[in-house]
Amino acid sequence: MKAPRFAYARPASIAEALALLQKHGDDARVLAGGQSLVPMMNFRVAAPKVLVDINRIGSLTGIKVTKSFVRIGALVRHVELERSADVAKHLPLVAAAMPHVAHPAIRNRGTFGGSCALGDPAAELPACTLALGATFVVAGKKGERRIAAQDFFKGLYATALKPGELLVAAEFPLPKPGYASAFGELARRHGDYAMVGVAAHGLRKVGKFSDMRVAFFGVGDRPQRASGFERALEGQPAVDGALAKLDADLEPRADLHASAAMKLHLAKVLADRVLGGLAA
Amino acid sequence: MTKRFDVIGKPRRRVDGRAKVTGLTRFADDVVLPRMLHCKLLRSPHPHATIESIDVSRAQARPGVHLVLTGKDFPVTFGILPVTQDEYPLAPERVRYVGDPVAAVVARDEQTAFEALGFIEVEYRPLKTISDPEEALATPEPRIHSYGEQGNIHRLQAFEFGDVNEALAKADHVFEDVFFYQGNTHLPIEQHASVAAVDGEGKLTLWSSTQVPHYIHRALANALQIPPAHVRVIACPNGGGFGGKCDLHNHEIVVSKAAILLGRPVKICLTREEVFYMHRGRHPVLMKMRTGVTKDGKITGMHTQTLLDGGAYGGYGAASTFYTGVLQTVAYHIPRYKFDACRIFTNKPPCGPKRGHGTPQPRFGQEVQLDKIAEKLEIDPAELRLSIVAKPDSLTANWLKIGTIGLAECIRKVVASSDWKNRFRKLPEGRGVGLACGAYLCGAGLPIYWNKMPQSGVQLLIDRSGQVTVFCGATEIGQGSDDVLAAIVAEVLGVDPYDVRCVTGDTGLTPVDLGSYSSRVTVMMGNAAIQAAELLRDLIARAAAEHMETVPENVGFALGRVFRADDPGKLMSFREAIVLAEEKFGTLGSVGSYSPPRSPGRYKGAGVGPSPAYSYTACVVEAEVDRKTGWITVPKVWIAHDIGRAVNPVSARGQVEGSVYMGLGEALMEEQVFRRLPPKLSNALVHKIPSLLEYKSLTSLDMPEVFTELVEDPDPNCPFGAKEVGQGPLLPVMPAVANAVYDAIGVRIDELPITPDKVLAALEKKAKGETPRVGPESFPDVPYPEPMLVPPPWEGGDGNSVNTPRRRPLKKEALA
Repeated sequence: MKAPRFAYARPASIAEALALLQKHGDDARVLAGGQSLVPMMNFRVAAPKVLVDINRIGSLTGIKVTKSFVRIGALVRHVELERSADVAKHLPLVAAAMPHVAHPAIRNRGTFGGSCALGDPAAELPACTLALGATFVVAGKKGERRIAAQDFFKGLYATALKPGELLVAAEFPLPKPGYASAFGELARRHGDYAMVGVAAHGLRKVGKFSDMRVAFFGVGDRPQRASGFERALEGQPAVDGALAKLDADLEPRADLHASAAMKLHLAKVLADRVLGGLAA
Repeated sequence: MTKRFDVIGKPRRRVDGRAKVTGLTRFADDVVLPRMLHCKLLRSPHPHATIESIDVSRAQARPGVHLVLTGKDFPVTFGILPVTQDEYPLAPERVRYVGDPVAAVVARDEQTAFEALGFIEVEYRPLKTISDPEEALATPEPRIHSYGEQGNIHRLQAFEFGDVNEALAKADHVFEDVFFYQGNTHLPIEQHASVAAVDGEGKLTLWSSTQVPHYIHRALANALQIPPAHVRVIACPNGGGFGGKCDLHNHEIVVSKAAILLGRPVKICLTREEVFYMHRGRHPVLMKMRTGVTKDGKITGMHTQTLLDGGAYGGYGAASTFYTGVLQTVAYHIPRYKFDACRIFTNKPPCGPKRGHGTPQPRFGQEVQLDKIAEKLEIDPAELRLSIVAKPDSLTANWLKIGTIGLAECIRKVVASSDWKNRFRKLPEGRGVGLACGAYLCGAGLPIYWNKMPQSGVQLLIDRSGQVTVFCGATEIGQGSDDVLAAIVAEVLGVDPYDVRCVTGDTGLTPVDLGSYSSRVTVMMGNAAIQAAELLRDLIARAAAEHMETVPENVGFALGRVFRADDPGKLMSFREAIVLAEEKFGTLGSVGSYSPPRSPGRYKGAGVGPSPAYSYTACVVEAEVDRKTGWITVPKVWIAHDIGRAVNPVSARGQVEGSVYMGLGEALMEEQVFRRLPPKLSNALVHKIPSLLEYKSLTSLDMPEVFTELVEDPDPNCPFGAKEVGQGPLLPVMPAVANAVYDAIGVRIDELPITPDKVLAALEKKAKGETPRVGPESFPDVPYPEPMLVPPPWEGGDGNSVNTPRRRPLKKEALA
């Protein structure tokens, strides 16, 4: 079986795309890389009446480095992030995450914006935006608005995007001197969504953690920072003393492959390893 | 006799390889016929319910809908085994698992048919559901089927070969273990598809992704109540079978009926989700094994008890049940043996044959238990096995005839290649190696319906053009049967295998072969092919001998030439020789037939287990276990398989590597599992993961390095000595993983799959000083019958039973 019938539109500009999204409302879905949406349609989990293909909108592409941030366009393919020298230099966390994103074939088509707008709780990039304090740029009828990553992910496949809005880009502040990052995830197989993942970014100064931002994914219904854990790390030379804080920070959801208790356990093991790597 | 072969044993591209890799192979889904319609099935959302009413009028009225069928259109039950005719093509009154088909729509396209399903109104009355064997044993009513042993017990079997209690009493140690092997599914790349069409005379042709066109032919004619002579079944090349395409399936009957009613071709392609629902895969099996051993590791006796979760229908289940017991005896010498087996009906998709059919589960238990025995007796597990390997040309306690057995050589090979002596119990904490063995059939001795006719037939056609066409009912399911057929014919006739045309798996054109199951094809088809080819070669030799002024015995065939063996300079082309033969004998053709040798067992039930030959495998797995996460990774596998002789070593190695792939999936992650929805919703037993997104199986990136060795000790019962390789190499992989995990971290996981949570749970027990084991704690009280007593050969038996158990005698079982 393939997807149910749908209409297809390919706007050439953000304005045209917004007009289509506003016209069709809930009946429309944005088609970017199609690596999640198209399988969902084939499974008939999603049945949009109109697909708005944004692949020809040039202003959604590209990685730009300014004096204060790195801007990643919504249409930037995973493979571009994976291979970008700018990303490797300024956003090593994102570079470290990319090999974990699915398989090369999917990375060739899948997009940064698609991954963030879908809001899969087990996806890597949303967690990176949290850890790095990125800001999403969203276009709507009334113009652009900016949403902090912290406020963007609302729940299971739910984001702060409103009907008729289009994710345009994300801006990642350039890391300050002395800041470092680390990434890790546990998946049963190569390329699977994570059972548990950690993206961490912070200051490592005279052998102590400071200003840590630690985002977990694959644990709850959305990627989430562990704020108690982050606070407990402040000024500490090692991770273990802070791990107990994860009991309160995380609300693991059991899924087909792990109980909530197992997920919490794995989250602690992974946090210890990933941040331990940072401490080393 | 050592003979130089030109084709056999040479690594070659498969004869069907080019078509496969260029996308030119025509699978069932590629069959497109003029005026073809499309069918979709409506499947039950309830695991157990009566159908109160079905209203198809709205679906029938949809534009583009040609036909809607329901249970009332199919009054006759079917089932692949003659003894279990318990299925309806579309359930008329009662559904027994989520996915049981209740109606079918035939429409102008798939989309229209799919949408029309939503307009069929079915009123169900849910019934109490049974989720597992223990619940079934405790819940005799309501019965899922009105036949069977009692309550919800489908089959009970009990056999005792020599007094096992006495053997255990005399042993120095008795080991008792309970194991559980979770169910899993075949996962072929190709989903099932079928196209049915009737010709101008009303005769039916069914193209289908099936492993068994002959059985489908018989069963389909019966299900539709039409003469078999008016039915032709064409098995398209399968994109993988693994046992999942061995049954007659509902959809095959439904499209056939629809094509007859409409006079137009009708096609159906199942979705992946439907393939998970229809299943017929590995039975979940709970096992209890009691084994007596002497202090030097000799087995005195063994008692195996199995409990199978059969799902909602019989299918091959009666055979599966036997197979959880009968092949325990062919790897090692077991002087006394008893097995009790029980299959249960539950409200889940029916289970059936999957690669290794019923034997991987007890093999897992036996090989893990041997590892425990070796440790307790402080004997190296490889040495222990070497000291108890069964003898060649011997009988087993249950009267199976072993011919060649290369198991010891397999063990020695993997011990050497894996550097076992320097690794076992010597690797750092967290890393370990495990060894296990396996044994399998080279074809079931008896067909699934009782008859004395050949089990494989081959016909050869040859003419003045030089072309050689071979006809055989065997089915190319991806395993390489066409390649084996072409190679054997080419070897005998001295021609290039790529010049042989194979016409296979077509009941309208090809002589009967029982199909691609039970690893029977190389042996049975191969022997029939040799017979046919030798008959033709003799004719050609006689004609050529006359021309070359010599005797037929002095005529050689090789590399497309026919020559004087004593003077190879005197030669002619194969084509010239055929012209001579056609001049002398007229139109040229021949046939060959194969029937396996009669098995020495005479007791009722002795029909399951005999085989012309047995194949053997030994495997060493290395495992790395992360003690914090419970993650298991397998960096390397060493495996040696006793193949008798490899017809095409490339293909054979592919089968071994594929077995390792499948085995690691079963060992580490695959499980076909179900859950109950909360009663306030529906109490339904639903499939947890009917999708490839969540049903975890290894990917190519997860595959370890596999070091494969083939042990070649030609078996006289087999064509050029070639045994099977399609299923046997799977068997040792799962227990070798479990044994490697124990070597790595000192915990026993006595159930499959071995998932991280089980590893962590076992490590936690170990840390607390408890028995470091995760697995089933007990075996339920199963009402096994009084066993049939058959003295083993060395206790004066003649292969007959010496008692008549106080239960209805088993019918003459002729099972695969």
